[in-house]
Amino acid sequence: MKKSILAISLVSVLCSGVASANVHMNGFASIKGGMSTASDKSLYGYTNEWDFKNESLFAIQVRSDLGDRLSVTAQLMGRGSNDFDARFEWAFLTYELSDTMRINAGRLRTPFYRFSDFMDVGFAYDWLRVPQGVYGLGFNNLEGLSLYRTTQLGEFDSTLQLLLGSFSGNISLAGNPARADINNIAGVTWELERGWWSVRTAYLSGKVSIDAPGLAPLFSGLTQAGVPDLVSALDFNDDQSQFIGLGITMDQGEWVLISEYNRINVKNSFFAKRENYYLSVGYRFDSITPFVSFEREDHRSKSDIYQPYTPLLPAQLLQPVIAVVESQSVDTKTWNAGLRYDFHPAAAFKIQYSNEKNTLTDNRSDLVAVGVDIVF
Amino acid sequence: MSYVKAMLAVLLLLSGSVVAEIAIIVHPANNASVDQSELNRLFLGRGNSFSDGSRATPLNLAEGVPAREHFDTQVLNRSSAQLKAYWSRLVFTGKGTPPAEHPNAAAMKAAVAADPSAIGYISASDVDDSIRVVATF
Repeated sequence: MKKSILAISLVSVLCSGVASANVHMNGFASIKGGMSTASDKSLYGYTNEWDFKNESLFAIQVRSDLGDRLSVTAQLMGRGSNDFDARFEWAFLTYELSDTMRINAGRLRTPFYRFSDFMDVGFAYDWLRVPQGVYGLGFNNLEGLSLYRTTQLGEFDSTLQLLLGSFSGNISLAGNPARADINNIAGVTWELERGWWSVRTAYLSGKVSIDAPGLAPLFSGLTQAGVPDLVSALDFNDDQSQFIGLGITMDQGEWVLISEYNRINVKNSFFAKRENYYLSVGYRFDSITPFVSFEREDHRSKSDIYQPYTPLLPAQLLQPVIAVVESQSVDTKTWNAGLRYDFHPAAAFKIQYSNEKNTLTDNRSDLVAVGVDIVF
Repeated sequence: MSYVKAMLAVLLLLSGSVVAEIAIIVHPANNASVDQSELNRLFLGRGNSFSDGSRATPLNLAEGVPAREHFDTQVLNRSSAQLKAYWSRLVFTGKGTPPAEHPNAAAMKAAVAADPSAIGYISASDVDDSIRVVATF
């Protein structure tokens, strides 16, 4: 409620007293519905009952030019998964240092991936959703500063982004609700485009602290048992993290090929070493674009954290340690097939089938989803 | 044989008329020259100056005007839907705004004639001496 009042007052401040030519209002929306075909499995928040709320969202963006190269932008979004409670996904000031350089300051999207900045704008891409195997990390926003520089490097269009900031928010850790803080986030992304091709690299680092009350009894038990080193190897206490991402896109006009790879690590914590990638191929038949894609998630749990302690610790401490560390292990392969149909200049219909195989449990889950993405 | 020649001549005339269907226009006092790759830069928000360094303000015709579709597909090599998706990537990330739109050739000519930085396009048949043609497609 408070947020909506804040939102309305912000929007009215942005609109009031300014000639309409200086205020740009845009929006986008997605209405998506889906269900998994098996009764006992769920995927991406869907069960075997049709659900039209889980991935639906509405967003309104207001941008006001204040003159002298300064502008303010706010994007208010309500997600079905959060009962359409509106919150600010983006809220920032932009100052154009020159025609090729701008600084954004405020709440921004963390630029982990090729589609991070517009992952919620379904109209901007062909899939029904961005590949969850690669985009599923969380921590999508941060508060901070970002410097963009776009230049021509010979035949290439170059976009360089430098980033400083921090994240704080609620997450889920090994099944426990937790409070996460990532401080000293520093990052650089660089994208080079030429003709059909675009190549992107991203590197981000930050200091991760996570406070999970559900894990506190285990950690204090271990401390009392005289193994504080094990606690510091497990917990997230100002631990250095690293994200490396690579992406390549080929858009020949008809054939569209997209692939991304990333690698994530948080030192001195039970966060698994993660490697994820996907490859997607689509073909545009005028207004219809069918695609297939393959995603792979490979998260290797850090079993070597507890192995030296197996002869030392009593079972009632060792077992929960093993459970927590191994809970981070993921090994999945997902196939997707679907299509985008541009049935209207500002709206696209999508349908997508996803089938995920979990190699660790030898389980398969699948999902059919349809939706309409709109921009306005 | 002469029949074939006649057919070829007709085809050439037809294709010629299609090629010259739209004219890229600027203010009469603007001496800039532009090629297709510069038009791409300007109309895709990747640059905002002419090759001589002076400021450029690209102007679009409204969606649905035939010359707009011709410009999108022949000059920018993208369908209107692809361009809409392209701009939604920039608009919703605070990285750019698409060119302002004018509803018809008369409004486009008036806007270009009034602004030395403007660059737009109209159907070649709408050209008059209030504006200068820098290229045709």
